[in-house]
Amino acid sequence: MKALVIAERSDAARELAAGARTMADEVVLVSFGDAPEGIADKVARISVPEGAVMEDAADTVSAVFDAEQPGVVLVEPTRRMKIVAGKLAAHAGTATVTDVLGFEDAGARSLYFGGVAERVQKPVGDVAVYTVAAGAFEGAEPSGANAVEDVAWVAPAHPVELLDRKPRELSGVDLGKADVVVAAGRGFAEEADLDLARALCDKLGAGLGCSRPLTEGVDWLPSETYIGVSGLMLSPKAYVACGISGQMQHMVGCNRAGTLFAINKDKSAPIFRQCDYGIVGDLKDVLPRLVAAL
Amino acid sequence: MNIIVSCKIVPDDQDIQVASDRTLDYSKAKGTVSTYDLNAIEAAAQLAAAVEGSKVTAVTAGPASVDDSKLKKNVLARGVDELVMAADDAYANMDAHATAEALAALVAKAGDWDVVVCGDGSADDYAQQVDVQLAARLGVPVVNAAVKITPEDGALVVERVLEDVVETVRVPLPAVVSVTPDVAVPRIPGMKDILAAGKKPMEVVGAGGGAAASLETVACLAPEQASRKLEILDASSDGAVEQFAAALKAAL
Repeated sequence: MKALVIAERSDAARELAAGARTMADEVVLVSFGDAPEGIADKVARISVPEGAVMEDAADTVSAVFDAEQPGVVLVEPTRRMKIVAGKLAAHAGTATVTDVLGFEDAGARSLYFGGVAERVQKPVGDVAVYTVAAGAFEGAEPSGANAVEDVAWVAPAHPVELLDRKPRELSGVDLGKADVVVAAGRGFAEEADLDLARALCDKLGAGLGCSRPLTEGVDWLPSETYIGVSGLMLSPKAYVACGISGQMQHMVGCNRAGTLFAINKDKSAPIFRQCDYGIVGDLKDVLPRLVAAL
Repeated sequence: MNIIVSCKIVPDDQDIQVASDRTLDYSKAKGTVSTYDLNAIEAAAQLAAAVEGSKVTAVTAGPASVDDSKLKKNVLARGVDELVMAADDAYANMDAHATAEALAALVAKAGDWDVVVCGDGSADDYAQQVDVQLAARLGVPVVNAAVKITPEDGALVVERVLEDVVETVRVPLPAVVSVTPDVAVPRIPGMKDILAAGKKPMEVVGAGGGAAASLETVACLAPEQASRKLEILDASSDGAVEQFAAALKAAL
């Protein structure tokens, strides 16, 4: 079987090409520019014309697909590549399995309802199109002679015209990369009390996140710091849940943390059945004492 | 401008329970408009308000249970003029390919249209593929991740936020545009809007043959609970906070 790998960034190209090697005999990489050395048998190189957006290469990619006839297509899960994957799936008469976390014998595993469940799916037809999350092929090594072939641009019928492009300004801490995360929940009665959580963050070098009630409705914290279903899914070394009851909708975002700590005044809160260390007490009492003890 | 907005009715994820065998229990979860589709509806309504003489038609396809008067009014109370819905159990749990086929049939009913607005991703699948598959089926261009839509003559200028760049593009109409939640804050319909919604045109059709599934779900289970130490202290006991702090230090 042949695998087609489609990626816009070189680290994803490497990783997906390595994974493709475990699934197929022959690996063809679609690259938009120079490909990393030695990762595929063949590289189909597409040059995106000036003034075009990269995802308008979808028709060109479909032409590569028709020529190569792969059984499996692995795509990097970026916004642009999701358009390429979707157009290709439509062209092949199938649907993309998106954001695959890993492959098992029965099929591809991905999150359902933002992580409430994990779903394993497999395509019914002859062709499978997947977008695959980073880390799905841990330990796999890419190989190949990288025989480069330049592909002729197939102009789309209704091109999208690029007018302007500028780097995105990202604000705040990247909670996904933080070793320690402090999360604030409904247990904070007033916005000013969040300073108690901020003081703990300063002490621990932690990022501050929250459960849904603090970003929806009250707007005390930015929506990009919301942890849980359809928000952030974190796996820090340590997670300190402050005033969070422990509903499943929040816990799916933090249950992969190394060590889970909880502070809550309600001793029967579900979080105390899902944490490593819990302390029953009022946030206004416990947080200052904890900061002092650290 | 003739604007179509597509939305999905899903079980309310706040009320989904996990059963003891790790399967999902939807019995307490009522159908609701998928969260990010509310932003798409608002974006469509605001686009209509910006262009005189515009009309907004909402389309949705799902199982028979989506044909619910409260749900229909909830959509129509948000600046939507008309609703066309395909409600049939053949339309339950569709993948993006099948959904696009079902929606394309509804879009065809709306006559000449200029743009189909889609949400960022559905609460259940969040595949971000229906916009693309629908555009492919309709033979029109697609732009995703839109945060701002400005109408021009025969085109839209769209600002879109990608992983590391912000792009401004011009897309010729007709087109499909999918929007991020940042595009517009959904309105909260008032009693007057909800009453007026009941009088708006709503058409419910069955499945036109039903779309074939491309994907098979082999399993769908809540993740296994990590085993935790469950050492619970009481803050009022002597040394409890210090013990908690020591455990926290040890975990860093």
